[in-house]
Amino acid sequence: MRDSDRKLYLASVTDRYVRGELSRRNFLRDASKLGLGAGALGLTASMPFGARGGLFNTAAAAEIVPDADMMAWLKDVAKPFAGQTIRLATESTPPSNAINQHLKPFFEEATGINVEIEVLPLEQVLQKLTLDVASGLGTYDLYYLDQSWMASFSGDVIDPREKYAANSALAMPNYNFDDFLVPLVDGISMYEDTMVGVPYDIPIFIYMYRKDVYDELGLKVATTMDEFLANAQAIQKAKGPDIYGTTGQMKSGHYSLECDWTAWLWGHGGSIFGPDSKFSGNDDAGLEAMEYWVKLKENMPPGVTSWTWDGQGQSVGQGIAGQVLSWGEFFPSWDNPESSRVSGLMEAAVPPAPNALRTVEQTGFGEIPGVGHQGGSSLAVSKYSKSEDAAWLFAQWATSADTQVFITTLGGGTGPTRTSVYDDARVKANAKPGIPGTTRHLDVVRDTIDNHMGSEPDLPEWAELANDTIPVELGRFFAGEYDSPKAAMDSIADKVDKIVAG
Amino acid sequence: MVLTPAQRLLRAIAAWAVVLLFAFPIYYWITVSLKLGRDIFAIPPKIFNFEASAKSYEEVFGISLGFEQGIAVLPGGGDFYMAPRLMDSIVIAVCSTALAVVIATLAAYALSRMRFRGQHHFVFWILSTRMMPPVAVAIPMFFIYKDFGLLDTYSGVVLVHALMNMPLAVLLLKSFFDDIPKEIDEAALIDGASRFLVFRKLVLPMAMGGIAATAVLCFIFSWTEFLFALTLTQTGLKTVPVVSSTFVTSTGTAWGNMAALGTAAMLPAFVFILLVQKNLVRGLTLGSVKQ
Repeated sequence: MRDSDRKLYLASVTDRYVRGELSRRNFLRDASKLGLGAGALGLTASMPFGARGGLFNTAAAAEIVPDADMMAWLKDVAKPFAGQTIRLATESTPPSNAINQHLKPFFEEATGINVEIEVLPLEQVLQKLTLDVASGLGTYDLYYLDQSWMASFSGDVIDPREKYAANSALAMPNYNFDDFLVPLVDGISMYEDTMVGVPYDIPIFIYMYRKDVYDELGLKVATTMDEFLANAQAIQKAKGPDIYGTTGQMKSGHYSLECDWTAWLWGHGGSIFGPDSKFSGNDDAGLEAMEYWVKLKENMPPGVTSWTWDGQGQSVGQGIAGQVLSWGEFFPSWDNPESSRVSGLMEAAVPPAPNALRTVEQTGFGEIPGVGHQGGSSLAVSKYSKSEDAAWLFAQWATSADTQVFITTLGGGTGPTRTSVYDDARVKANAKPGIPGTTRHLDVVRDTIDNHMGSEPDLPEWAELANDTIPVELGRFFAGEYDSPKAAMDSIADKVDKIVAG
Repeated sequence: MVLTPAQRLLRAIAAWAVVLLFAFPIYYWITVSLKLGRDIFAIPPKIFNFEASAKSYEEVFGISLGFEQGIAVLPGGGDFYMAPRLMDSIVIAVCSTALAVVIATLAAYALSRMRFRGQHHFVFWILSTRMMPPVAVAIPMFFIYKDFGLLDTYSGVVLVHALMNMPLAVLLLKSFFDDIPKEIDEAALIDGASRFLVFRKLVLPMAMGGIAATAVLCFIFSWTEFLFALTLTQTGLKTVPVVSSTFVTSTGTAWGNMAALGTAAMLPAFVFILLVQKNLVRGLTLGSVKQ
C-alpha cells in the first residue's frame, strides 16, 4: 500500500471509529492491517475532542505486539469483570507512563476492564493514598507504593503471593514470582513477612561519568570512595567552573537530599539505625560520611542545595558535571540528543566500593546498607477495592515479563524488576549509545541491584523521617546553621529518636 | 503640567521598561515551550538564539505539526493530551465565576442597602471564612463529597470554587454598591418602582464595572486553584494546575511540556479579561474617589 493510501485509509478508519460507526475491535483489526497495532486505539482514545484525521501522531503506536498466549488467557478469565473500572494512583514514572500512554489499550481490549490511571507527583500520590486508606473508601483499586511507604501501607493491601496461591483461576500462567530479582523483593516489596506489592520499577543509584572528560584527564573509573572524590577534585581543578567535579540533589527538606545522604553514609560503614533501633547517623562512621560529603560538595555547582533530582539531572544533561552517583533512570535521557548536550558521552559503572559496610543485623528496621541507594516501588492491590479481582489481573499483566519488556524498550529508561527482562533480546537490541531510550546502562543497573543495593529501613514513621525530619536538618546543616556535622547529626538523632519512640 | 520633550522621552522609556519587566517572564516562559530540552537550561541562557520547535505542543496536545517524534514515553503518560483538561478548566472557571457573581451580587446589594440587626457582624463573618486555611477543610470536603456523589464531578468543583470565591466577591461588590448613591434608589422607590426593579434597571448597570472586576478575580482564582481541584478529583476531570503537576516526574520535570500547557492556559484567561476589559478598567477605578 502506498503511503498516501495508507494515510487515507487510516484517516477513514479513525473517522469511523470516532463517529461510533466502528467498534473498538474492528478499529483495531483495521489499524493492525496498517501495522499500527492496538496502540492506535490509545492515541485516538486520548485525543482532545476525539481524533482528527491527519493531525495525530501514529509513530508511537507501532511495533507493540503483546504475547498472544497471555492476552488470550486474559480475555478468557476476565469475562466476569468486563465493564468494571479500576483506578490506579501513581507517580509519573517511566513504567506508569508507558502503560498509560501505549500499553493500557491492549489490556482494556482483551479484558473489557477499563483502567483509569491518575498520574501525580510522588508527594501527592502519598496524600491521595493516605486519604484512601484512612477512609477505607476504596477510591483506588491499585496503589503505587514507594519503597519507603511499605510499612505504612502493609495493612491496607492484599499480599500478592497469597492472592496468587488462593485463586488459581486468576493466577496468570508463567507469571513466575521467582523471576523478580531477589534483592528487589526484599528491598522494595516486603514488610516483615508480608509482600506488600509486586516489584514495579527500580530507580537505583549507579555511577555515571563523562567518558570524554575522563579520557582527556586520564582518569580511571573509581572503585573506592576516595577515588570517586579524587576524580571529582581532578575534574574540578582541570575543567572548573565550566565542568564541575560532580553534582548533587541537595534541596533542603526534600527527599532527594536524604537519598544522597544515605549513599555516603552506607558507603562509609554507617547506617541510619543501629540494632537498638536508635538513630546511628551520628556515630563515627556517620560523621566520617558527613566530612566526605562536605568535601565532595566543594566540587559541585553552587546550585545543588536548591536542586532535587530534576536539577541534578539537568546539570549533567547540560554538560556541567563530570561524574555523578545517582539514579540510573537518568541515563537514557542523557543519551537523547534532543534533551541533552552529552548524548553518547556518558558511561555507566557500578558504584564505588564502600570503605566498610554494615550487615543487616548491625542496623535496625530491616535497613540494608549499600552504596546503590534504591528508590523502587511496588504495585499493590488495595484491600478496600470493590474490583479486587480485576485489579489483580491488571497488576499481574502490568508486572509480567512481556509488559516489562515493552516498558523498557519504549524508552522509559527505568530498570526492569525481572531477571528475564534484562536478558530479553528486544531489550538488549536497544543497548546503543546516543539514542533516546537506550538500555546500554542496564547491565550496570542489574549488577548494582545484585551486589551493591542499599535499602532504607521499614518502619511506619519512615515516610515522615525521610521526607521531612532528616532532609530539613541536613538542609540546615548545608545552609550553615550548625557549627559542625556532629551538631547536625546529634540534632537529627534527637528528633528521629523522639518520633520513633512515639 | 506641560512636559518637556526630554521629560516625555524619559517617561516613555520608564513606561517601556516597566512593560518589559512584566512581559519578560511571559516571553521567557513562551520560549521555554518552544525550545528543545537541551536548550532550556543552557548556560548562558538562550533568550533569542534557540532552535524553535513545536514538539512540546505536539506532546502536550497529542497532535502532529511536523516535528517528528519516535516511540517515546512522555511525561504524564497519556494525560498529556491536555486539550480536554483545558476544557475542564474553562467549564469550571466560567461556571463557578457565574455562580459566585450572581449570588454575591444579590447578597452584596442587600448588605449595601438594607439594614438588619448584626449586619456588621455578618459582614465580618463573611470575611472570616476567608481566614480559614483551605487545607483544613479539604479533607473533610473529600468525605462529604464522596458521600454526596460529588467527587470527581464538574458540579462538585464548581460548587467549591464558587463557595471559595463568594466572600471576596460579596465584600468587593458591596463596596461597589456602597459607592452608588442611595438617593437614586430612593427616588425610584418613591416613583413606585419595586426594590428588585431598582436593582435590575438602575443599580446593576451602574455597578457593571465592579461586577466585571469581581468576575475577573473570581475567574483567575478558580483558574489557578490547586488544592481543592486536586483533592476532589481523580481521573474524571482535572484542571490545568493539577495536570501541570504531572510533568513533575521521577526523572525530572518536563519544563517544555509544562511551559506549552502554561502558555496555552494563559489564552482563555487572557480572552476572558479582554472581553470584560472595557468594564474592568471602569470597575478598578470605581470608588477611587470618595464623595
